[in-house]
Amino acid sequence: MTDTTATASAVKAPAAKKGGAGLNIAIIVSAVVAIIGIVLWVMQMSGGMIQTAMRNIDSWGLYITSFMFFVGLSAGGLIISSVPKAFGIKGFGGISKVAVMTSIAATCAAIGLVVVDMGQPLRVWELFVYSNLGSPLMWDIIVLMVYLILSCVYLWAQVQAEKGKVGHVALRVISVIALVTAVMVHSVTAWIFGLQQSHEMWHTALLAPWFVSSALVCGTGLVMATVIALRAAGYLKLDQSYLVKLAKLLAVFLLVDLYFFGCDLLTEAFPAGSGLAVVDMLVSGPLAPFFWGEIILSVVAVVLCVVPQLRTTPLLAVAGILAIAAIFCKRVQLLVGGFQVPNIDMPAVLTPFTVTNWEGNMAQAYSGMVYWPTPLEFGVTLGVVALGFLIFFLGLKFLPLKPQDQE
Amino acid sequence: MKYGMVIDLKRCFGCRTCEIACKSANNVPKGVSWNRVLTEGSGVPDGPSGTYPNCKVQPFPVSCQHCENPACVKVCPVGATYQDPDTGVVRQDYDKCIGCRMCVAACPYTGVRSFNWEEPAYALDFATGDADVPVHQKHVVEKCTFCYQRLARDEKPACMVLCPGRARHYGDLDDPESEVSKLIASRPYKQLLPEKGTKPSVYYLV
Repeated sequence: MTDTTATASAVKAPAAKKGGAGLNIAIIVSAVVAIIGIVLWVMQMSGGMIQTAMRNIDSWGLYITSFMFFVGLSAGGLIISSVPKAFGIKGFGGISKVAVMTSIAATCAAIGLVVVDMGQPLRVWELFVYSNLGSPLMWDIIVLMVYLILSCVYLWAQVQAEKGKVGHVALRVISVIALVTAVMVHSVTAWIFGLQQSHEMWHTALLAPWFVSSALVCGTGLVMATVIALRAAGYLKLDQSYLVKLAKLLAVFLLVDLYFFGCDLLTEAFPAGSGLAVVDMLVSGPLAPFFWGEIILSVVAVVLCVVPQLRTTPLLAVAGILAIAAIFCKRVQLLVGGFQVPNIDMPAVLTPFTVTNWEGNMAQAYSGMVYWPTPLEFGVTLGVVALGFLIFFLGLKFLPLKPQDQE
Repeated sequence: MKYGMVIDLKRCFGCRTCEIACKSANNVPKGVSWNRVLTEGSGVPDGPSGTYPNCKVQPFPVSCQHCENPACVKVCPVGATYQDPDTGVVRQDYDKCIGCRMCVAACPYTGVRSFNWEEPAYALDFATGDADVPVHQKHVVEKCTFCYQRLARDEKPACMVLCPGRARHYGDLDDPESEVSKLIASRPYKQLLPEKGTKPSVYYLV
């Protein structure tokens, strides 16, 4: 995904002064990928979700992993943009509007990812007619809608404020509301998982604050990578000092996230009870690549952000992308890992009785226990992500997102 | 009134008649089992627990526990999974289910809920069992219904009818005179994952 950002901005680098040919190409490319994604989704619906790697044992997969991830990505933009305004402190240059645009695009992608995960998308209207307001999933749908609408309102208010049509007080009130909603979006998304007593790995009070911190990490990473790309493309001007400020923030967020990770691992492992199985699975089990991936990527990103000699523009872009990748690893661990440890300790509880021949063995019975997405799932996910990019590029082209004057 | 099941593990010898009776009565699609006979205390299905010569094979039937405090009902965003107020049975409305699989994730009893990942297929080209079972649908979640269609006609659930070991009992847990209430009162029993707080309505006599 991050690769696509790089290519897309590289493509439009030469003639992007007024959102020229490069931006048009980016729009066309993302539109085509999005359309391919929709075609694949129709195939998934008609042929059945048996074409995905999800089964009753791993009943959620790449779609919900990416959903969590994109909800997280949507945070940073709005928070980066609203915190300075809400608290009346100096901001990050003129990137506020671009940052909110990334939020809007990421939120749309997140909603799209839930839709492609649904077995009966044509019944989506039921959510509004038969709403069970006790369900965390319902809370999330409501908060996501509010968040999307609010992001749009916030963007509009900023544009109007620059024209002098919306006062400073009004803008500040909107930014406070936006900030609260942003925190709620991540908490509620965490509660979809964290309120379930059935999965030991998820059932922790830490999950909601942890989702907020992870969201801050990948959101800040996204804003950093985006503004560096847009500056290189000549879309906006930004003083290096603002980037350094963003980098320092990113380092702090990363350290907080790692601290939460450590707290959670220790709490699960220390009693040496059933939680130990979760820690083993992460540290040395099937999810080890994602566990160590997250830690290594995070540490490298922190080093790039805190060592002054390393804070060059290309390395800061790398740090942003590494931070995003680290959080994606986190999401994979959380989602896939949550389903791996069964509550009922009896053979074949997780699997159908797959040993059907006398030569069959346990390895065969448990094959397919660790989830890995099928090409179709990758295709559909890529399509939804492309839709997010399309929305972002359209915003760059048609909305006045360039900084009016440096704050 | 609150329907519950009592399964006598001392009498269950793992013949899986209840599995097949359930499948046939409810016309359950190929590859789906609402009721499965698992094995307790062994590393392999149908394997023994303990060490030779003190070995024992303990079959353990598991289906929806029809909890009094069901985790699945709480999380369903549209109320497609609901608790029947008259019987306490946890039911599933196929026509309402949006296929989000939140209930599958929320249920602590791994594997009792299943999602139809493709158009339901059947081993026979005609429907079996009760005529009034709801038609199975693609991309919705389903599970044991306590044979609701049979309860409504005052008939025994299918898994209870044919058990050769006479290990399965059902009845009203609220009525102290019912067979199930008396069994629970007179014999030691256990429940699956009581620590999860779901208050299952299935009791296992040990």
